[in-house]
Amino acid sequence: MIISSAPMRISFVGGGTDLPDFYKQYPGRVISTAIDKFIFIAINHAPFNNCVAARYSVSEEVPHPSQLKNTRIREALLDLGIEKNIEIASFAPIPARTGLGSSSSFSAALMKGLYAYIGKRLDKRELAEAACRLEIDLVKEPIGKQDQYAAAFGGFNVLQFNADGTVDVEPLLLDFKKRMDFERCLILLFLGTTRDASSTAEQKAITPQNMETLKRMSDSVPVFRDALLRADFQGAGEMLLEAWTLKKRLDPAISNPRIDALYEIAMKQGAWGGKILGAVGGGCLMMLAPQQKRAALVKSLTTAAKAEGFAGACEIPIGFVQAGAEILTNCNGR
Amino acid sequence: MEQYIQAFSEEAITLLRNLPRVEIAKAMNILQAAYERDGRIYAIGNGGSMALATHWVADFNKTVFTHNLDEHARRFQAIRLPTTEEELTAWANDVGYDMVFAGPLKNYIQDSDVLIAISSSGNSENVIRAVELARSHKVPVVGLSGFDGGRLNPLSDARILVPTPPGEYELAESIHAIVLHIFTRYFRDYFAHVLLLRKEKQASNANVVPA
Repeated sequence: MIISSAPMRISFVGGGTDLPDFYKQYPGRVISTAIDKFIFIAINHAPFNNCVAARYSVSEEVPHPSQLKNTRIREALLDLGIEKNIEIASFAPIPARTGLGSSSSFSAALMKGLYAYIGKRLDKRELAEAACRLEIDLVKEPIGKQDQYAAAFGGFNVLQFNADGTVDVEPLLLDFKKRMDFERCLILLFLGTTRDASSTAEQKAITPQNMETLKRMSDSVPVFRDALLRADFQGAGEMLLEAWTLKKRLDPAISNPRIDALYEIAMKQGAWGGKILGAVGGGCLMMLAPQQKRAALVKSLTTAAKAEGFAGACEIPIGFVQAGAEILTNCNGR
Repeated sequence: MEQYIQAFSEEAITLLRNLPRVEIAKAMNILQAAYERDGRIYAIGNGGSMALATHWVADFNKTVFTHNLDEHARRFQAIRLPTTEEELTAWANDVGYDMVFAGPLKNYIQDSDVLIAISSSGNSENVIRAVELARSHKVPVVGLSGFDGGRLNPLSDARILVPTPPGEYELAESIHAIVLHIFTRYFRDYFAHVLLLRKEKQASNANVVPA
């Protein structure tokens, strides 16, 4: 039995600049942090079970991996040439498609575990690339690279996507005091509806107009980083508000009246700014606000979200973590 | 004689002013990640560096939590290798001095662990052997070296080089002790802060009158 894990992430600024259409023309940048919500994958060698089993929200047992419905497990097994005698199960603390990058966390944990299963150990960069290859080249998802890197590396990072396809990972060296102060300014409200990562509004084709917006987003990443390093969380929040306003003006479809209403309530009660993680009408609403206003804000936002029809709305309390994709247990020998 | 003493302190002060702060910060992030995944941290070194490793392990396993030992369900698992003189001499006598660290490390090492390697020259063969073993497991290496960093520095994930003239063990080891104490104090303060926030939260929850 092998057990691997990979964290989900919150991305603050720069989403969409991790797509090749953009970074082949201009350096893409994203600032994100791993959070204490993990996908776990358990991989079991089953020598007397002549099939392939995949157990996630459904349970599949098929004679050959090519018959699996789960695209990631199917393509990973085919790519690694694992054809039978294997059981793979996944566990998650939060439903899929919440805007927290969980599908790439799944891929990172899966690849970390499957490589260990065939006796190979991947370092963070090798793993990030393996997860990108799985999702982008094999499963053919029209997504970028930020989530796979965030899951593989863990921690708080500025990721830079270069024209040649390489990715620079610059850790944000926040001490524990700043990190925990920042955590306490952050509100993550799960709105209950779900989406596919590949359908997000950020993943649209590049036009001259959104090219300029994306350039501004990419350039604002180092400014956001410096605000956090100075512990200027208000400044960081105001940058999120600015980015939200700009993106909405260019593409009203990134929001809707229900989201706008919640955002407005948060701002009226003293929040500095925020964004939607995930796509239109769902995912999570993330707001930055003064610590002392946090508790009241969580309460009124939750109530308002329910009144707006987000029946499952609730706060997801989070902490930031350093851990990336890890092998937690490997009983298959060393 | 006072001038002699002054000269040493000046050299040490210069080194302290120029500590590799980014690399020390990276090392502390590596230790944080090991804590989060409940991994173990092995510390190795020869002679004075072994004394530093042993001292640091004691600090990390206890001093970090010293005022709140029972408040933290999970603590650090730092281990000085080899763990006994018997093991050290057995590996040295039976297999060779080059294997006194890598030999015992192989018994313990798991993918979730971290290695702290301390070598002033950065070239101790037995230390390098253990570092190579860790790297083959993709286990992160925090390397504390002196002089020009030797082979250890480029092999490390956190490259804590205290640059001294070759042979200046006293300087390198003194500054290494300070770096290791930075680790200890950082995590002591961190866990005290975690506890403070937890108590604040409990107090504020207790004040909430149920509706």
